[in-house]
Amino acid sequence: MAESMNIKLKVWRQAGPKAQGRFETYTVPDANPHMSFLELLDVLNEQLIKSGKDPIEFDHDCREGICGSCGVVVDGVAHGPQRRTACCQLHMRHYKDGDTIVVEPWRAEAFPIIKDLVVDRSAFDRIIAAGGFVSVNAGSAQDANCLPIAKTAADLAMDFAACIGCGACVAACPNASASLFTAAKISHLAMLPQGAPERKSRVTAMVNQMAEEGFGDCSNHAECEAVCPKGISISTIATMRREYFKAMLG
Amino acid sequence: MKSVLDSKIPSGPLKEKWDNYKNGIKLVNPANKRKHTVLVVGTGLAGGSAAATLAELGYKVKSFCIQDSPRRAHSIAAQGGINAAKNYPNDGDTVWRLFYDTVKGGDYRSREANVHRLAQISNNIIDQCVAQGVPFAREYGGLLDNRSFGGAQVSRTFYARGQTGQQLLLGAYQSMSRQIGLGNIEMFARQEMLDLVLVDGKARGIITRNLVTGEIERHSGDAVLLCTGGYGNVYYLSTNAKNSNVTAAWRCHKRGAAFANPCFTQIHPTCIPVSGDYQSKLTLMSESLRNDGRVWVPKKQGDTRKPRDIPEAERDYYLERRYPSFGNLVPRDVASRNAKNACDEGKGVGETKLAVYLDFAEAITRLGKDAIAARYGNLFEMYERITGENPYETPMRMYPAVHYTMGGLWVDYELQSNVEGLFVLGEANFSDHGANRLGASALMQGLADGYFVIPYTLGSYLASNELQKVDGSHAAFSAAESDAKARVEKLLSIQGTKTVTEYHRELGRIMWDYVGMSRTEEGLKKAIAEITALREDFWKNVLVPGEKTTMNKNLEFAGRLADFLELGELMARDALERQESCGGHFREEYQSEDGEAMRNDDLFTYVAAWAYSENGHTLIKEPLEYESIKLTTRSYK
Amino acid sequence: MSLKNSLSSPVGKKLITGITGLGLVVFVLLHMIGNLSMFSGDDAYNEYAQLLASFGPLLYLMEAGLVVFFLFHIVNGIQIWVGSKKARRMGYDTYRSAGKPSQQTTSSRSMIVTGLVLGVFLVIHLASFKFGPGGPGNADPSYVTSVAGEEMRDLAKLVHHKFASPIYAFGYTFVMLLLVLHLRHGVWSAFQSLGAMRPSLTPIVYGLGALLGLAIGLGFIALPLAIYFNVI
Repeated sequence: MAESMNIKLKVWRQAGPKAQGRFETYTVPDANPHMSFLELLDVLNEQLIKSGKDPIEFDHDCREGICGSCGVVVDGVAHGPQRRTACCQLHMRHYKDGDTIVVEPWRAEAFPIIKDLVVDRSAFDRIIAAGGFVSVNAGSAQDANCLPIAKTAADLAMDFAACIGCGACVAACPNASASLFTAAKISHLAMLPQGAPERKSRVTAMVNQMAEEGFGDCSNHAECEAVCPKGISISTIATMRREYFKAMLG
Repeated sequence: MKSVLDSKIPSGPLKEKWDNYKNGIKLVNPANKRKHTVLVVGTGLAGGSAAATLAELGYKVKSFCIQDSPRRAHSIAAQGGINAAKNYPNDGDTVWRLFYDTVKGGDYRSREANVHRLAQISNNIIDQCVAQGVPFAREYGGLLDNRSFGGAQVSRTFYARGQTGQQLLLGAYQSMSRQIGLGNIEMFARQEMLDLVLVDGKARGIITRNLVTGEIERHSGDAVLLCTGGYGNVYYLSTNAKNSNVTAAWRCHKRGAAFANPCFTQIHPTCIPVSGDYQSKLTLMSESLRNDGRVWVPKKQGDTRKPRDIPEAERDYYLERRYPSFGNLVPRDVASRNAKNACDEGKGVGETKLAVYLDFAEAITRLGKDAIAARYGNLFEMYERITGENPYETPMRMYPAVHYTMGGLWVDYELQSNVEGLFVLGEANFSDHGANRLGASALMQGLADGYFVIPYTLGSYLASNELQKVDGSHAAFSAAESDAKARVEKLLSIQGTKTVTEYHRELGRIMWDYVGMSRTEEGLKKAIAEITALREDFWKNVLVPGEKTTMNKNLEFAGRLADFLELGELMARDALERQESCGGHFREEYQSEDGEAMRNDDLFTYVAAWAYSENGHTLIKEPLEYESIKLTTRSYK
Repeated sequence: MSLKNSLSSPVGKKLITGITGLGLVVFVLLHMIGNLSMFSGDDAYNEYAQLLASFGPLLYLMEAGLVVFFLFHIVNGIQIWVGSKKARRMGYDTYRSAGKPSQQTTSSRSMIVTGLVLGVFLVIHLASFKFGPGGPGNADPSYVTSVAGEEMRDLAKLVHHKFASPIYAFGYTFVMLLLVLHLRHGVWSAFQSLGAMRPSLTPIVYGLGALLGLAIGLGFIALPLAIYFNVI
């Protein structure tokens, strides 16, 4: 078996939304290179519970990098050092014995902290509810192959639709902007004929909702693309802007 | 408690049953729909599609999920695809064949009428999802692409890279979001259903816990739709998401809903093997990999050579050898059992010797690395991230893992449980997959139930029942709320020495060892005894930290584990009762000479529905009548 | 939706910043090229200034346009910056860029600082030169010269005079280096803001934008250093 490592963790602890937060430092003496980063937190939590302390709350669910539940800033980078990887799929083989890891929650006013590393990302749901859909009722669809779509367009649409809504883009953005998240959905639907009838109302409503939620504006740092677990390109943001200009022109 | 369960299968020939049903039901007047409140618990493919569709029809919908957003339900993790009988590839598919394959794949333990309806509806699902903008894979001509999946000899699986579940779920989620925006759905995220409220014997509400504030809430309505997924996490290690649980279903069960075929669990053959004691969950690798990957183990026991150093002649491609007509694409139960056998014979590979190889070398030589990367690139990346090994160069190591539960709450043809007004959709019910589910059928069932079945059957229920107005102030709500509160307080008050995870791992070990891929009478009895003891110990010695008034995931998991500790025992009992081998349920006592599952159709062609009462569980049998299909021994040879 | 609302939306703000930014790039480029005329001699420089002045109302129009561009660019930039501070009141203890394909650099992070310094510089610069001795409202007979019989403002003398001072020469140089930083992110960013970007173009446009910024900056810097070190 792989050798165990001694890992130090400096973790943000905050009892509740309004409570004052602070960093606490912990040591996990028996971290294993094969374990995932979240499993390291599991091991730490078991340790904390056994010693009568409150475990660290963090969101997690599928642990396969697709549900988008997990997300913390690891050593200053959203989801940690491995590219195109949600932190549930970050493995401890990227660390060595004696390392200290700083763990912080997503920080944005639009993502208020609920507890410790858990934040409220419902702003994303409201952005989608503003227009991130095709208005088609169940039962009214024509045969699926009545609508041929070029493979290149379908593939691009899939690239953009791959967003898992984790919020890393917001967390990493120096401006805490939600442009990449919003643009990914707009671009996905803009690539497809199904999205065409509502394209103008969609982009306007979603962009306005994004502003209303208190996210910052985009300054084209492109940090979002670098931390996106699905590697969604900032070309979606350019697409969103083109869509918006078209909508402005009526 | 009724001692006979009426499946309410409509009259007429199989092909006409669904139409006959639809023609015969009462409808709810459009103006009256908004007067009905429907509670939908769960927002996966079944719950999300149901909530959206019912809201589109004009019902008032309240939707609940335990995650922070409805988009995160575990359907999102389904990789491979969704079946439909479109026959776009012109390779001989029909609705009948999809129906037949599904019943056969389920080893003849599912209800014909339900499965046939599912096959009929399958095509509408693809149409609906395409209209929503789901980016299915396409061919260069712009039309939809299909691929093959286990248990079928036609290509009928539609897919969106390795993220089909995600894309279908987002389609449903977006439709839901639209209705949320329009005010037709009221969304309650981070809310866990803790109990079902019955008024005059009918499901009229639920008790939930707000997972952020800890508050216990009452929600009333005219019907409850349970779309809460499967219970694979009873094994602790499974491919299910960490939050997947049986609690909502189990609470309904304890309020009277029968639990059907609890022992029918699917162990998926291609998962990344366990690497250590800290392991928190298992990761599935899509079945689609078996289209091009070849499964093998060394012929020699205890062979420690590197896979590439083992010459062709010394490898055993055991699936191709034993099942020449289906080869690596045998159904999941067969593939899993064979992997277990190979490891039991001492031919397992890797550090733990609990793995077999899934090798792409031949496919890479034949098609080129680029073609393989285009098909499975994201899966290969995921494998490498987790294991640190490059599957382009060295074969993947795979071992079976718990993946899906065919059992669930008993429902009739209308997806209504034996508790009136309680409908159960998707994986949470038992209805369509018999003793084994074929790949790419779970997505099909979840969406069929939500988009195309429940709108009719729920309407029929609401139109034909006079429902008195009931709100949260009813005495039944108070009683259920106090029960829920007492449970939470009890869990926090024990303050023992063992953590929830420790108990859960222990339960998982018992379940995997004795109620796993192969089962024996002796083992099952042992499991029942051990689970009983563990449960008693749990209620005396569990250590749940924190408070009830803030977010407290350990408290949530403790409540869920308490229910798993009851369910596990029932699963073992059900497995003990079923003295045959069928699908995912393999009893060592009942196998053919060459180790294949041996059904006993004379005695066990029934649904085992378990009813709960204070005095324990009683078995109610719903006989399965096969009118259109002849039961044969399932063979993939 | 009204035009005002559209323009104050997150995308509208980028539209304004991008268009005004590109307009200002064209302006500084032309200004820089104009400055280089000094290397052909003081008379050439004064003639060039006189030519501009001779545009009369057209010049006023262009100047008014410039004022509008500057104001919108500055106000939007400040708004975006203030918005970003509001969007994250509590920063990270540890923060670093994840690296490629991030375009986050000292340039991108300091746009507000370089921008504000350039804004302050602009005021001083206008006061020193445009409205300096011999300029509008500041008649000064000692800054009048005659080239080929035509009487005109002796701007070259003023330039020589100012850049003989180390504070002016090096202060100007420093600010122009900030302009290089500002343009390094700004040129590419403007195209992205206007939706004109695709992944394959990004490195090219980013590279060309940075080169253009550098060329403009160096062009500006050449004059004060040449004067200070008595090259011209």
